[in-house]
Amino acid sequence: MPILLPELGVEVGRFSLWYVRPGEAVTAGDRVAEILIPGLTIDVAAPADGVLRERLALPGDVVHSGQSLGLIEPPADP
Amino acid sequence: MPGPERSLNDFAPPGAALRVYLLGTLPFDSFLAFQRRLVYEISGDPQLASLVICDHPPEITIGREGSRLHIRPTPEQLAAQEWRVRWVARGGGVMLHLPGQVCAYPILPLAGLQMTPAQYRDVLLESAADALRQHKLEPTVDAERPGLRIGDRRVAHAGLAIRSGVTGFGLVVNVCPDLELFEAVACDGEPRPMTSLERESPLRIRPAAVRLDLADAIARRFGFTRQSVFHTHTIFHANAASR
Repeated sequence: MPILLPELGVEVGRFSLWYVRPGEAVTAGDRVAEILIPGLTIDVAAPADGVLRERLALPGDVVHSGQSLGLIEPPADP
Repeated sequence: MPGPERSLNDFAPPGAALRVYLLGTLPFDSFLAFQRRLVYEISGDPQLASLVICDHPPEITIGREGSRLHIRPTPEQLAAQEWRVRWVARGGGVMLHLPGQVCAYPILPLAGLQMTPAQYRDVLLESAADALRQHKLEPTVDAERPGLRIGDRRVAHAGLAIRSGVTGFGLVVNVCPDLELFEAVACDGEPRPMTSLERESPLRIRPAAVRLDLADAIARRFGFTRQSVFHTHTIFHANAASR
């Protein structure tokens, strides 16, 4: 499942940092990343439970609303 | 998406109240603990909204857009002055906190206000401009490094954060600080000297009046028709009792 950047209200922002590493488990709503627009940081939440599989954005990247920042793999069924 | 020129009183739900905490001088550590508490409360109940108005003892904070290079004194000189330097998870650059400033920290549920992050930032800056106009000033908004200017000098900075859908940190307005102290710190990387309301306004400036003007302007711009004013919070009593 993609981690989508929510609406910022500006054309672009800058990716600030990841709070989790690939392979780490996350719960829906966990803070996973931070975006920066002038004067303001915005936390991005995990959209679902699972494991962060891939980081598609890296610190310093220019990002825009709706962009996929990373991928979460759902937990395997028991 | 409507811009900050959207008509007043249509962000907050009808009849919503803003809890305004007029706290006086508050150590930065205490503010951070209080902010965490308010963000926790509001993330669980988006009907709540708070505004903390306070000032801080001398201290330097550095946001995500700041750099240690903007602080001229050496670590030894800072220690001698008892100016602590703290990195904080907010936008904006370096801020020197001093007596004679007024800080306004709105803790608001962004989704409940139906605002984008950029819209929130812009409306907050317009709120501060409204408050300064009460003192016969004509500030301009600095969009590149969010804050307010009077002429070519900065008078207020914005350093903001949104966590769990709730806003944090806020504005610092120079009301009557010792402006010479800013020679040591380039706030937000600003190379030009800072200014203050006291320096620029033809009126007599009273910090207490500026606090109330900021609270009124923020409540009005965000559409809160009622304010509940508090001068303390149970978190401070609990902390005092535990010492």
